[in-house]
Amino acid sequence: MSITAETAKAHAHDPAVLCCRAEAGITIEPANLEDPSIFDDLVDSGLLNLDGCLTIEEVLGAKLTKTCDSLAPLTADVLDGVKAPSVSAPAVEEEVAQEAPDQAAPTAAVPVAAGGMLKIHIGEGKDIDLQIPVGALGGGAAVAEVPAAAVAAADAAAPAAAVGEERIVGTLTRKHFNITEVKRGPETKIEGTVLTIREGIEADVIADQELVKDFKLEIITPELYHTYSETVMDVQPIATKEGDSELGSGVTRVLDGVVMMLTGVDEGGVQIGEFGSSEGYLDENIMWGRPGCPDKGEIFIKGNIVIQEKTNMERRGPMAAHTAFDIITQEIREVMKKLDESLVVDTQELKSIRRPGKKKVVIVKEIMGQGAMHDNFILPVEPVGILGARANVDLGNVPVCVSPLEVLDGCIHALTCIGPASKEMSRHYWREPLVLEALHDEEVDLCGVIFVGSPQINAEKFYVSRRVGHTVEMLDADGAFVTTEGFGNNHIDFASHIEQIGMRGVPTVGMSYCAVQGALVVGNKYMQYMVDNNKSEAGIENEILGNNTLCPEDAVRALAMLKAAMAGEDVKAAEKKWNPNVKSTNVELIEGAYGTKIDLVGNEQELPMSEKRRLKYS
Amino acid sequence: MNNERLNYGDRIIYMEGVVVDVDDCSISVDLKGRLGFFKAPKRMFICDTEPKVGQEFGWNMSFPEQLGPEINEHYVSNIEKERRKQQEMSKRLDNKEV
Repeated sequence: MSITAETAKAHAHDPAVLCCRAEAGITIEPANLEDPSIFDDLVDSGLLNLDGCLTIEEVLGAKLTKTCDSLAPLTADVLDGVKAPSVSAPAVEEEVAQEAPDQAAPTAAVPVAAGGMLKIHIGEGKDIDLQIPVGALGGGAAVAEVPAAAVAAADAAAPAAAVGEERIVGTLTRKHFNITEVKRGPETKIEGTVLTIREGIEADVIADQELVKDFKLEIITPELYHTYSETVMDVQPIATKEGDSELGSGVTRVLDGVVMMLTGVDEGGVQIGEFGSSEGYLDENIMWGRPGCPDKGEIFIKGNIVIQEKTNMERRGPMAAHTAFDIITQEIREVMKKLDESLVVDTQELKSIRRPGKKKVVIVKEIMGQGAMHDNFILPVEPVGILGARANVDLGNVPVCVSPLEVLDGCIHALTCIGPASKEMSRHYWREPLVLEALHDEEVDLCGVIFVGSPQINAEKFYVSRRVGHTVEMLDADGAFVTTEGFGNNHIDFASHIEQIGMRGVPTVGMSYCAVQGALVVGNKYMQYMVDNNKSEAGIENEILGNNTLCPEDAVRALAMLKAAMAGEDVKAAEKKWNPNVKSTNVELIEGAYGTKIDLVGNEQELPMSEKRRLKYS
Repeated sequence: MNNERLNYGDRIIYMEGVVVDVDDCSISVDLKGRLGFFKAPKRMFICDTEPKVGQEFGWNMSFPEQLGPEINEHYVSNIEKERRKQQEMSKRLDNKEV
């Protein structure tokens, strides 16, 4: 298909290939040329050979001297009046390439110009990139001589000097209580580091919801990790607000060393939880230490709920399971409220800091909202509680603005039970790495977090993403992150959110599991900055709980990329096929620029290799 | 997982099917031409309007190819456990109803 003058300009340095048969003697115009975005496939399949092919800017206006068929690459021997290539070679490709290959649109990542690094990029002529540790400037270490012309550019790239006063807009104190043993007893209580759960509490859980037909409670200690389990629906911290504190402020008490874990089936024995399931031996199916997962060594209070037959695929089924299970957590919370201060083992103060004068960024977190176990409860009274929360689906999936501290205080109770490797469980939000990273980064001003649901129907998807666009516009943000969990049609609104924000001139970094199976469904020109959350060796949904979720290393890369984007740097386009090396290259570049070491998390390769994975995925 | 293991992975066929069930979580589709049935999460379907029984969907697919003759005992054991549990539970359910 022929291209327009605008496309020709955008692809000035791409190969010029005829889109249809052209007679000798014509003057080459954009309308004679094929869209370069399709060339990769043609070259791969051997239909096109671009050796010696001139670029679009060289051939425009030249005269064709020989009649050529469609898809003929234009070379110097069939043209008369070829122009010289423009002086500025395409600006030097940035160091960091985008990581999530997208079938429709490109993406890329460029970090730098941030942190303790002053980066100077000289695009003209010989393309010189200089990276000078800022500390080294003062220390008189060797400094490369910089051509005068480049200095101006360097000034522009230097971090803005004007810094406003930092403002603490909120604080949240987490008081940690340690638990080393969980047992059953006549009443729910905590003595020292021993948590006792009342015997017979199961009956209360069953009685709480009409749909709940049976319930079993298990205490899983590390010795019992090699136990068969149904699909894990959720992992939750056990936390409560102290006194009159409201979620996201004041004091939160939390138990260390123990988590709540919910599993469930219906009366027919069918798993609750979409399709991808992580049933099997716990130690072979959990990626330890992921933000949403248990850490190795923790005790699980594991409840297995049986709900009414065939309600596992209806909204009310999973909702009843989560609501009933919270009976136990709530009873523990009541006990925690009375705990003596002397049992506090650690106190952590989280501060929400606004940094006027720094680049203002916002985090948009897309959560599932298609229904049933594609839902989330937003803003309960207690951390990751039920009471007081509103279901995302009932709210119409529209954007809900929350403070970073509300996120870290468990404002999301995740009903999401989608593919195990990429779902964000309740505990994920409690330890959300991107929020933590952005909050602690002194170079950006994190103004807040927007949760937006992903509806099923396209019209609704665009309805909510337009709301996101307007919300970000009102915030006057300089940059935005859009993250999503899972994959599938939620990538349509994910792309639309980025478009809605991007068209307002706000650079946007997208974060999702993509790799091989989660390759994006759609793309647009604003999706230039993408970070792939994949950790699995093969780039797939490998049924390991939490494996491909957003981790600190992804947050660091996304921040570096957004800073580069906000500084106006180009980002190298993603490769056509998923290539895990892009990520490692980016990590190395960031380590070089910041002078820090980024610890990468492991993946399924370090779990005891189950036979199923050996055969299936290796 | 590598699709290089497929011998016919590039044989892509256009398929159509009819929606036979929609619940809060999934959509079930009968493949036209008596070619089977599948049920998949809602998030894997792209819908311009609300999905409803009787609507037609189209997609491209290829042939599922056997990756090898080996039987994965872990899957077998999981399936076995699942089947036993479902049997037991539905037995209990039947007794309750009686």
